[in-house]
Amino acid sequence: MTRVVVIGAGLAGLVAALHLAEDGARVTVVAKGAGSLHLSPGTIDVLGYAPERVESPREAMAGFVASRPEHPYAHLADAINDALAWFVACVPRMRFVGDGEENLLLPTAVGVPRHTAFAPASMAAADLRAGGRFVAVGLSGLKDFFPRLLAENLMRAGLPGVSVSVRHAEIAASPRPGVADVAGQVYARALDEPAFRVAFAAALKAVIEPGETIVIPAVLGLAKADEVWDEMQERLGAPIAEIPTVPPSVPGMRLQRELNAALSRAGVRTILGPEAVGYQSDAGRVSHVSVREAARTRHLPADAVVLATGGFAAGGIELDSYGALHEKVFDLPVVGPPEGTPRLSARHLDHQPLMASGVAVDGACRPVGPDGNVVWPNLHAAGAGIAGAEPWREKSGEGIAIAAGYRAARAILEET
Amino acid sequence: MISDTQAATECAEESAILRRIAAESIEDTGGLFVTTPADDPAYADRFFAGCRATGVAVQEITVGAALAREPRINPGISRAFEVEDASIDAWTLLWGNARSAQEHGATILSYHWVTEVLRDGDRVVGALARDDRSHEDVRIEAGFVINAGGVWAGEIADMARCPGITVVPGKGIMIAMNHRLVSTVVNRCEHPADGDIIVPSHSVCIIGTTDVKVDSPDDLSISPGEVQQMLDAGEVIVPGFRQARALHVWTGARPLFKDTHSDEHGEDTHHMSRGLALVDHLSHDGVSGFLTITGGKLTTYRLMAETVVDAMCAQMGAARTCTTASEPLPGSQAGNYYWLGSRLAAQEEAMADDQLVCECELIPRRRLLEVARRRPGMNLDDVRRVLRLGMGPCQGGFCTYRATGILHGLGDAEVGRADELLLTFLQHRWLGLEPILYGDQMRQACLDDWIFQGTLDVEHLPVAVPA
Repeated sequence: MTRVVVIGAGLAGLVAALHLAEDGARVTVVAKGAGSLHLSPGTIDVLGYAPERVESPREAMAGFVASRPEHPYAHLADAINDALAWFVACVPRMRFVGDGEENLLLPTAVGVPRHTAFAPASMAAADLRAGGRFVAVGLSGLKDFFPRLLAENLMRAGLPGVSVSVRHAEIAASPRPGVADVAGQVYARALDEPAFRVAFAAALKAVIEPGETIVIPAVLGLAKADEVWDEMQERLGAPIAEIPTVPPSVPGMRLQRELNAALSRAGVRTILGPEAVGYQSDAGRVSHVSVREAARTRHLPADAVVLATGGFAAGGIELDSYGALHEKVFDLPVVGPPEGTPRLSARHLDHQPLMASGVAVDGACRPVGPDGNVVWPNLHAAGAGIAGAEPWREKSGEGIAIAAGYRAARAILEET
Repeated sequence: MISDTQAATECAEESAILRRIAAESIEDTGGLFVTTPADDPAYADRFFAGCRATGVAVQEITVGAALAREPRINPGISRAFEVEDASIDAWTLLWGNARSAQEHGATILSYHWVTEVLRDGDRVVGALARDDRSHEDVRIEAGFVINAGGVWAGEIADMARCPGITVVPGKGIMIAMNHRLVSTVVNRCEHPADGDIIVPSHSVCIIGTTDVKVDSPDDLSISPGEVQQMLDAGEVIVPGFRQARALHVWTGARPLFKDTHSDEHGEDTHHMSRGLALVDHLSHDGVSGFLTITGGKLTTYRLMAETVVDAMCAQMGAARTCTTASEPLPGSQAGNYYWLGSRLAAQEEAMADDQLVCECELIPRRRLLEVARRRPGMNLDDVRRVLRLGMGPCQGGFCTYRATGILHGLGDAEVGRADELLLTFLQHRWLGLEPILYGDQMRQACLDDWIFQGTLDVEHLPVAVPA
């Protein structure tokens, strides 16, 4: 049985671990923290902007990778469709809507129509491509959602060919009466219980008008989100759409729960807390991943390793105070902006070349050096640590994570 | 203190006054001067003698006592001196003075550019100003005009056709570091140089500063070399400084008055006088009704005001006694110094009753509403200058969206303006982040990008992206 150590518990690491375990590998996930899914909106972006709006990621992909040979998708384009189809089937309770063919167009919490490839059914109900009448409803206890701003921006978004009207309202129903500041996950946990659903639905009922789709912050349940959404729609007799907002993100937590459950069913062992700090090698291969635990460093044996520690945000890639780039576990060569070219732009929303730093990989997601040679034959990288993307600008983060995690797993399974 | 004894005496007297009138903006941190391994060991004795000669309270303490007080400072220090120093919040001080002036009948026109100083023969009789927001011109007629234009004082004097006022902008960068690496104002006991001081301020500490003569007071550029210089200097005072998290960098320009009659110090602005300079344009240019006050430093701002107003009274023949040294500013009447835990204590009192708009700086929603109602039409930088919005570790990552939504919901900003407020604030935060992005602040910037661009897609708001 192949022993694989996956370092990192974000989307890429969990995808790789699950796919490996489902195909019979003995997988250990080791991660310093709980991953970053609770920061993510719970949608699956594949390609939203390139840099113009992308309506069909599948159609746009060939042209995109041709024009961006340094982008992670240049190595992943032929894996992505299989990877996405497999992934969506792994987490059925998320009820992902989408086919990777056409992007959905969903309002963000600030009222911008935003492209994404897959979204939970509870979000997809706000798809703006068909137009419609919406009422954005805020929760007086939740400080991270501004229905009026959302409504007014959406009204002036100027979507061609569709008619969108949005008004706004607010409800006071709260899981913690008397407390002014209530987090989204507190609403979500309360809605997992049937009792609060009744009060919540009654409050919503009072502010809606016939024919409207209700748009609310994404708090409709955590463990039982599917059940909550069904019940709410039934009680209200109207479609409801959730909008993700600033973290912590309830839909991201749901996705994490579903993935963790799938990992557990597949027999993946997870070690959370200790940090992977290095490795041991033998005969030109990585033989162990070194993990710093309390009072000792443990060396986990591995036939293959998936490095999914993320980019700058998650700490897999580090920029030191002298401006040097480092990969933290294997000290891999990191590709940043070429010497003598600008690293960052003074305009915040411009392309920021430094942000695309990461490790370069080959077609099997194995890190390569400046000479193009594979660094370790049994080391694969997945996720935001791969060089060449600015996923938040491209709206490509989950697509890269899923495709790379899947590709790394497939490469390991095929090699052994 | 050795090179500028008069300035030292003024500073000591004025800081005692500020403790009485502006307690709200002062944290009584005390100060330390330490001789690090990089400093000339002979300077300490001269420093000590200089303090004594100018009446500045100073006490030498053992290295062990200094390290016990400030465990993060360089264990290799050889001498340490305690002085009566404090950390002052310039914005709190400014707002206190503004409120005080208003209570005494002043009208304050911020966001107004002086475009012309009006003359009637040999008298200055007012000014024209352009409202930066409405783009309207405002004509102000006045019996007397005081030019307190700081680094721009020379330009203002030129507008009054009183040429020859040379104020050299001494540009300096400051870097706010996350956490208080020191809780005392720590100076290197060395001839004044770049990066020789770390000042605790609220929940952060600030290292300063560089000093570069620049041609324009509007030059706020920050070079990578200056940042590296500050980080190296930080390492000398607090080993491991480079591993700490830099939050934000900004530039200021000191107004260094250049006495055109003596130029012995050349271009090195470190050694130009930081003393205040009063220019009487009646004797200088034969123009009445106009005085320029420049030079000086924050600690002597009140003395500068007293000096120039006394001179005005003398010229106008009105004998008035200055009261600013004894009248506490609004907010400081109780005489209580600022203390670090004050916001947390207030938050704990009202935890259930209000939402936190900014977790980093503990800003409750009602404070934002109060400020917005008092001064309609604020942008988020204005809010920041009152409440510290966006100044903490996440640099606006969470509060920017909330503050925008609240100002919009209040009706203070229509939707297009709200979008502009949000994008402008993010852009302005970025200007102070981009030069110091490394380590954990790089991580934070990426998380903020995930929030604003990834989740909210703000770059596609239907509004022009600000420059």
